[in-house]
Amino acid sequence: MALPLMLLFVFPLIASFFFAARSIFDLAGWAALFIHPQLWSGLQLSLITGLVSASLSVLAALLIVSGLYQTKWWPRIPSQVGAMLAVPHLAMAIGLAFLIMPSGFIARGVAMFTGWQTPPNWISTHDPYGLALVASLVIKETPFLMWILVSILNREDVQRNFAGQRAAAVSLGHDMKSIWLRIFLPQILPKLIWPLLVVFTYAATVVDMALVIGPTQPPPFATIVWADINDADILYNARGAAGAVFLSLAVAGVAVLVWGLVKAFAMKREWLMTGPTARDIIRPSGPFSTSWRRAELLRGVHNFTLLHTSGEGGPKGRMRSLLARFLFSKVLLLYLLVTATLILLSFAILWPFPQLWPQTLSMAAWLRVWSNPSALITSLLVAGATTATAIAIIIAWLESQPQRRDKLILLLSASALGLPAILLTLGQYRAFLLLNLTGTATGLFLAHLIPVTAYMFIVLAAPYRSFDPRWRASASGLLCSVPKFLWTIKFPLLKAPLLAASAIGFAVSFGQYVPAQLIAAGRYSTLPMEAVTLTSGTNRPLTAAFALLLMAPPLLAFIAAAHFGKSRWSTA
Amino acid sequence: MSLVLEKLSVYLGDSRIFEPLSLTVAQGEIVTVMGASGSGKTSLLSAVAGDLPEPLYAVGLVILQGRDLTRIPPESRRIGRLFQDDLLFPHLTVGENLLFGMARGPKIERQAMLKMALQHLELEGFENREPHTLSGGQRSRVALMRALLAKPDAMLLDEPFSKLDKTLRSTIREYTYSHLQERNIPTLLVTHDPEDVPTGGRVIYV
Repeated sequence: MALPLMLLFVFPLIASFFFAARSIFDLAGWAALFIHPQLWSGLQLSLITGLVSASLSVLAALLIVSGLYQTKWWPRIPSQVGAMLAVPHLAMAIGLAFLIMPSGFIARGVAMFTGWQTPPNWISTHDPYGLALVASLVIKETPFLMWILVSILNREDVQRNFAGQRAAAVSLGHDMKSIWLRIFLPQILPKLIWPLLVVFTYAATVVDMALVIGPTQPPPFATIVWADINDADILYNARGAAGAVFLSLAVAGVAVLVWGLVKAFAMKREWLMTGPTARDIIRPSGPFSTSWRRAELLRGVHNFTLLHTSGEGGPKGRMRSLLARFLFSKVLLLYLLVTATLILLSFAILWPFPQLWPQTLSMAAWLRVWSNPSALITSLLVAGATTATAIAIIIAWLESQPQRRDKLILLLSASALGLPAILLTLGQYRAFLLLNLTGTATGLFLAHLIPVTAYMFIVLAAPYRSFDPRWRASASGLLCSVPKFLWTIKFPLLKAPLLAASAIGFAVSFGQYVPAQLIAAGRYSTLPMEAVTLTSGTNRPLTAAFALLLMAPPLLAFIAAAHFGKSRWSTA
Repeated sequence: MSLVLEKLSVYLGDSRIFEPLSLTVAQGEIVTVMGASGSGKTSLLSAVAGDLPEPLYAVGLVILQGRDLTRIPPESRRIGRLFQDDLLFPHLTVGENLLFGMARGPKIERQAMLKMALQHLELEGFENREPHTLSGGQRSRVALMRALLAKPDAMLLDEPFSKLDKTLRSTIREYTYSHLQERNIPTLLVTHDPEDVPTGGRVIYV
């Protein structure tokens, strides 16, 4: 049963790879591509925005996580990051655009102090350097990388090992900064390679966000390719296909180059074993050294109290923790501001600049949404169906297949997420054309099922496989059947990862734009399609309402998963 | 040149984990701390090292080489530690583990010290080996040498021999004690095993 079910995921995916690869041989497409006037400028823009946003995201995520690790704020991070993850990329781009545009919330706030009566002459969205696109990508990808890091660091074995290694390194004179750089990071980074590749590929090939907030003259290369693929002209289609392959190769080339540079740096290893610096301050040259004076001064305040310093690692550690909290709070604040802007804008009919509050509020946008809820219903149905199917596929696989076979599915899943969506969608479109699946509900369902299953498998496989086999042995001794064991023991004990994976699957499906748009072929409309279309119009309240609709169900799914996933017991 | 504890005790909220302890550990002396499980032996070592985990906190003074260590972060206290596990860093080679705690300085000097350390450990040619390829005894000796190369002013041993088999245990124990006494390092040892108590050494109970 598990194999035929898994074929629902594997077959369309492999067909997509095959048909995408076939595009390589369309020489007319390549010839047209290389005379495209915006090829190199668009490609340069895509690669630079991708590299910059991925680098900034990983830097921010590491700064925040290393500063908050094992402090009292640490336990709260997963739920806060989960809520941020639930916000689809597209909704964030739309919200951020409304926030930073010349007549946006930020400009209105500044106008209170500067006295501006008209919106400033800023190019804050669709700017030629892609800064707004980079900002929105960083805001979305930082929580994703934080979530990966938190998942790694919260593993029981990692916590135990790192606690011991930290104590050993501290006793050798290394402070927390040094321990993060030399002990923790080298062990974490290999596990971050795939997520980083996914982030870079996504950032360099994103279409929906680029259409909403990215540069236009030239646009990022992915949007040029997207326009070609959607064109009615066959030659443009071929050029788009060649472009998708070329973009993928360029992204892969840059990823390999960057990875090679990082590896070359890491190979030197000199920096790994540099001696400690913290020891220097304990050997004061005399009673007037800075550290000595500081210790004496503090002792006067806290005489006879030996305050522990393990959690934050002394004054420097507290500074790092403060910086991390500052950064994280700003990211959270941006999410709140974006949501607030969207809510307000969805009710605003008349909102002249520089007023901070709309002059007239109206339900008009929301009434229009409710009068024709087909896109919302389609999105909900597809997300519900794909999430339920994916969980069935994954559980059937994990229950019936040996763990060594997981590698294949993990590889396919990682490829589905690591390869540009535009390339996979192209292959998928051509395969579905052959199978008469374009413009059908089945086609739309399968197009969503691939990324949903890929994400959910990556999230669920490790916790599911690490389920203690002694529970099964114990239940067997009590003559418990397999279905009864699953429903009464295993699923309740694994409900947190099962619900978290489902919430992620639901959010992934809800945010799909590229595959849905192409496979639906105009027969079906989902929320992301409507939202992207609306951003090119002038009806801001309706666009804001659709962006909020994009945000709300995934957010509710995450809240429900966090609430119902709480354990009422301990297995320790 | 000694380690002095003055009325040192550890608290969890209002409850005291162990009675205030005053103690002087002389140069090269190894004082054994014994007590039932949960009596606070490891907390005592953490209080001395300055890395008590929340919500525990310590009251009292720790004075090393005549200096009060209050408010000195753990990494700056110059107190070395050995744990139940050897805690060699798995991503570093044997040589890199030994260099990790060595003071900064010219590369040639550090390499010379590394060579001497490896000779002393009878592990010449092992510097590029990964820790997991060593035997239990070799790992224990590397962990001790790594701690000693950091030139600590005091050492805390938290049941470092408890995971070794009986034969290896006595060999590593003698090896460790001889090195600590040779270097005149005041040492606090926590153990459950009376055989770990050095001959003629003081024992205190918490």
